[in-house]
Formats: sequence, C-alpha cells, structure tokens
Amino acid sequence: MNSADLNPAGINLVACVKWAELRPEIDPLHGSVEASQRSSGFSSSDFAAVESALRLAQAWSDQGQVCVVTVLCAGPEDAEDSLRDFFAVGATRVVRVDLAEQRSSAQVAELLASALVPSQLNAQFVICGDVSSDRGSGSVPAYLAHHLGMQQALGLIGLESTDPGSLHATRRLDGGRRERLLLTAAAVISVEGSVATLRRSSLAATLAAKQKTVELRKQQIDWPTEVNRLRPWRPRARVLAPPAGDDALSRILELTGAQSGSTAARTLRLDPEQAAEAVLEQLAAWGYLDDSPPA
Amino acid sequence: MTDFDVIVVGAGPAGAAAALEAARAGRSVCLLERGPYPGSKNMYGGVVYGRVLDSLIPNWWEEAPIQRWVTRRSTMLMTGDQAVTVDYRCSSWGEAPYNGATAFRPEFDAWLASKAEAAGAVLICSTTATGLLRDGTRVVGVRTDRPDGDLTAQVVICCDGVNSFLAKEAGLYPPSDPANYTLGVKETILLPREVIDERFAVRGDHGVDIEILGCTGEVPGGGFLYTNAESLAVGLVLSLPKLAACGRRPEEILAELKAHSAIAPLIEGGQVKEYSAHVIPEAGYKMMPELIGDGILVAGDAAAMCLAAGIWLEGVNFAIGSGAAAGQAAARAVQRRDTSSAGLQDYRRRLDSNFVMSDHRKLREAPHLVMSDLAQQQLPRIACGVMEQLFTVTNPDPKPGLRKIIRGQMKLNNLKLRDAISQGMKALRTFG
Repeated sequence: MNSADLNPAGINLVACVKWAELRPEIDPLHGSVEASQRSSGFSSSDFAAVESALRLAQAWSDQGQVCVVTVLCAGPEDAEDSLRDFFAVGATRVVRVDLAEQRSSAQVAELLASALVPSQLNAQFVICGDVSSDRGSGSVPAYLAHHLGMQQALGLIGLESTDPGSLHATRRLDGGRRERLLLTAAAVISVEGSVATLRRSSLAATLAAKQKTVELRKQQIDWPTEVNRLRPWRPRARVLAPPAGDDALSRILELTGAQSGSTAARTLRLDPEQAAEAVLEQLAAWGYLDDSPPA
Repeated sequence: MTDFDVIVVGAGPAGAAAALEAARAGRSVCLLERGPYPGSKNMYGGVVYGRVLDSLIPNWWEEAPIQRWVTRRSTMLMTGDQAVTVDYRCSSWGEAPYNGATAFRPEFDAWLASKAEAAGAVLICSTTATGLLRDGTRVVGVRTDRPDGDLTAQVVICCDGVNSFLAKEAGLYPPSDPANYTLGVKETILLPREVIDERFAVRGDHGVDIEILGCTGEVPGGGFLYTNAESLAVGLVLSLPKLAACGRRPEEILAELKAHSAIAPLIEGGQVKEYSAHVIPEAGYKMMPELIGDGILVAGDAAAMCLAAGIWLEGVNFAIGSGAAAGQAAARAVQRRDTSSAGLQDYRRRLDSNFVMSDHRKLREAPHLVMSDLAQQQLPRIACGVMEQLFTVTNPDPKPGLRKIIRGQMKLNNLKLRDAISQGMKALRTFG
C-alpha cells in the first residue's frame, strides 16, 4: 500500500483475515496435514471482523465521515476467488499479503503489520477475528497491536458505533460478567464469530466483483531459520516399589500417601537466587533431583 | 437486453458441458451453482465413461482428476450366503484413450466447470435458482436467493439435478411417480492403496467396478463396489416405494451387503469416511420430461438422462452428452434470434442423433426388466443354486447332468420354462 491509499480526511478500517484450512485431512500414520483449496477458507470470526468493519463504516458514513474498508488477507493465491467476494459485500479494497506456507502467529502478525505500518496505511481501527481455524491461538491481534503500537481490545463479543472514530465494545469476563470498553483510534480489536454474520451480497455485486482485482503485496521478511522448540527439562517419573497391604484400599492409601504426613506449606521471602536454591533444595528433599541432568 | 445469452442452472457435468459449449460458441453464459463450488453438493458412486469427452476436451485423460481407470468389470449374482461372479479384465482399458474411471465428483465437476470458465462462462457459486422469470409462457430468466437476485437470459438450461424444481415449475414434468425413482446410498471406506491393489488384484492406477444383483433382499435394487485410489465406494440402489413399504432402513440393507462373505473380506479393516444418499431417476426414457419449452431446455439428471439398464449403469456420460447438446442448441438459437420452443428444437435433433436418446430409447424397457422378480430374486438364486450343485461333489452318488440341475433349480424357485423363455425374449429384444 502506498501513500495514495490514505484516506486522511476520513476513517480507515482494516479487517484482517487469514486463509486457513477449515477441514484438514490429517494422515493418521505420519501426521502430515493435507490442505486443498476447496476445504480452505476464512473462519467465522474473520467473517465477523469484515462484517463489523462494514457496519462501523456504514454507521460513520451516515454521520458524514468518509470511511474506507480494506480487507487485508494473509494467504496464498488460492484465496483470491474467495477474497473477491469481499468486494461484493462492500469492501473498498482487498489486499493479499502473500503467505504460501504455515507460519507462526507472530510471523503472520509481522507480515500483516508490514503492510499496515502507518507510513503505508493510516488505519484507525484494525479488526481481526479472534482466532483462525487452523489451530489458531488468538495471538495475532495482540502481536499486531505490538507491531503497530496501537491499543488493543481482544476477544470482543459486541461492537457498537458511537461518534465517528469511537466505539463501545463488550468483552466477556469470568463469572458471566461483561466489560464495557470505550475505544478510540487507533486500536486493534478482535471479535468472536458470534458478533456478526457476513452479509449476503447481491447478485449484481457478486457479478461485478468477478472483475475486481485483489492487490498483491509480497512483503520481504527475513525470518530466522526455525529450530525445533526445546522443551524445558522435566524430571523423570520415580520408580516406586509396589505398595504393600492386604487389601486394595490399603495399597491405594500407601501408594497415594493420602493419610501420611504432608509437608506444611511455607512462605519464604527471598531474593531470586536464594529462592531458586530453596526450590532446588525442596525438590531434592522430595527425591525429584536424583537423576538431574549433567550441568 | 438480457443479462446473459444463456443461464445454466447447476454446475454438474451436464451444466458444465452446456456452459462450455455455449461459451465456446461465443455466447455470454452464466453458470449458477448452489454449492460453494461445483460438485460440492454431489453424491456419486460410479464410473465416469469418458468417450463423450473426446470431442469436448481432446486428450482429457491427461488432465482429468480421476481416481483409477477401471480395468476389471465384475457382475455378481448373490444370495444370502452365495455369490456367482462373472469377471472381465481388459488391460487396454488401462491405457489411453481409456474406457471408464472412478472419480471424486467434487474434483471432476470442478475441473469440468473450470473448462467452462476458461471458455468465458461466468461461474457464480453459493447461489440457488429459486424460480423462473417469465414473460407470459416464455421463460426469460431465473430468480436466485441473493438480494436483487433476478437474472435474465434468452435461454435457461436446467441442469439442476434429479427432482428439478425449475423443470417442474416450467410445466415440463408430469406428476412424479415414486416408482420411477430409486434411492442410492453409499459408504466411502478408506483403505491403503496397497491393500486395495492386493485385494482386488490390480496395480498402479487400475481399478475395479463390481455390480451386484440379489443383495437387496425384498427390496428391488442392486449393489456396487468401486475402487478409488485409497478408498472404496460401497453402496446400494433401492426402489423407493418398495423401500418405504418394507419399513427397513437403507443402512441396514447396506450393512447386510457389507457383511456378506463375498464382500466382507474386501472391505475388512477399512474406515468408513462418509455415508451419503441420493435419489436417482431410474426409469430413464419412460420418465423423461418435455425437454424443450419457450426459452428453456432441460438436461442431465434433471431430464432423467441416467441410464440404469442392468448391465449398463451410466449417468455422467449421458449428462455430459445431453448438456453439450443443450449448450450447442441454445447457442445456435440465440444466434438465430429464435429461442422459442420451435427455435430450440435443434436440441432434440442433436440428442436423437447421438447416443443419448438412441440408447435411452433402445433400452427403455431395461429398468423394468432389471427390477422384475425374475432378475431380482429368481435369477440370483437359480444361478447360485446351479453353481452349488455343479461344484458340490456328492460321491458315491454320480454327478447330476447340467440340464437336470437347472430344471431342478428353476422348479425350486418357481420359475416355469415358459416364463423363462418369455422373459429371455424380452431381454433379447431390449438388450439385443
């Protein structure tokens, strides 16, 4: 996106979506995932993000603001037919950032952010789905907010426009409670799929969208070579002698130590180094460090 | 001024072929599909015979998404615990230009529709044609389920499958008779490729088509088993009214087929991937609607073009053949500026002059014969009984003569010689 894309007098809303495998075929033998164009698509929360952007744009346009809705997608070329459908429902522009292979959430966010940095697009609100369908962690919006230096409101279950450039958002809290937020630009928000269902495009718009062009951005990011993640060391399970006892109950009691004395809880206030020593000391006392790895 | 010259409703094989031919003739074509992509709403278990594609897509076999080329064709007559199989193997069917193939229709239909798109047709998916637009008695377009969803054209080609609501709305169908329909049910069972190769004695991309008679109990019908690359399609075709009358579930009857000693070892260890069901226009020629109206043509399953003639079970090739003829006729009528019923009669002429209507007309009695008690009950029992007596060694008794065995089995199964000859003559007249 270049400076010509800016809508300086109005509000730019960007809906971020990700082309993902919706019904992956997983080989039971070697676990490889087979993707196909026909079983790929956008998650319901991504559709909700686009619909939310369109509704906000409509509401603020009715109040005299010039609003531009851009759909920004991270995905392969296969996604383009489906991306054109976003023109049909009212998106002003659709941009695809080329992403041909699986990447981590952090990398997807970095890729999207590279197309969203303020020098390229003056986005007041970036609206994402809360999770993608391919084992999504929901962390892309948070990474995006970090990269763009915007405030964030994630996992929203309701959005209402207020004055142009601000909106009320509802977020679910524990215990059935709700949190109401007043958001102003610039912010990254993510919405659950239940927030909105993408509108059905008219036939004329669907036909016209066939002629539209999805803009392509090939962002050059030199990601470091990934190494297999190292798991933290875990002590091995201890081998215990079979419990003695005449009946099953007594053997279970001995095995679980349910009626034996337990270590009383202690609260220690120590420096970090001393705390680490204390933890190791206690683990050793419980017998967990007998097979600790060599230093 | 209409939106398009031709609207084709349904992007199955008939619709894609119609759109392809009309677009190639230079007409503006809209291909409507209710599913998210062509083939997505499809349920199919069968063999695609590709000879009809030779003129549409030269060397189609080099790019068509097929599963296996059928090089073994078996016909199995079955009773509860017996089976007689006539097995034909032909290695030349496994070489270009091939004969028939198993295919996944979501892949095959999408491929064929992509050819129509490449020729200039506009494919619109996730859009259902909910009705016809008319100007008097003349069809001038379709109404879709999208907002502002009216679309006009000079010709509408209905390829919307069996139970075509558009053809019915146009008044082209007589009142439906359930006896003309069967219910097809199918399981797709996953098995490793090498297991399929070993069990069915095939190699590489060669496959097997097994058609079964006598496996549906008191319900007239038949069974099938096809090999895909890494799965099997096992299923039944069941007379709709008789199934309803007997009160049994189709999956029960399918479970019995799968448990039969002739089938169970073939599918053993497989994982059921899907179960599906679909209505089939079984009666063929005798249930065909009016194919032509003012501004409207009907093709494929919507026109009951499925050939269920016992030894020949074909559908996709008839769909493609009728669809292509409809596309050509529609394009010609638009060019001549006469899309009335009279102007579209070229469709009928094209069908009559090729295999589509010739085969259906010739084999019009075949579905009735195949569903008769003789074919469904007596023939499998007699064939299996004869084989059992023929190959059971009863020493010290001497071997009985073949004529005696056959007569004994006919008597056992209440088949009189006169009826056998009469039915045999009918079969000869039909298939001969």
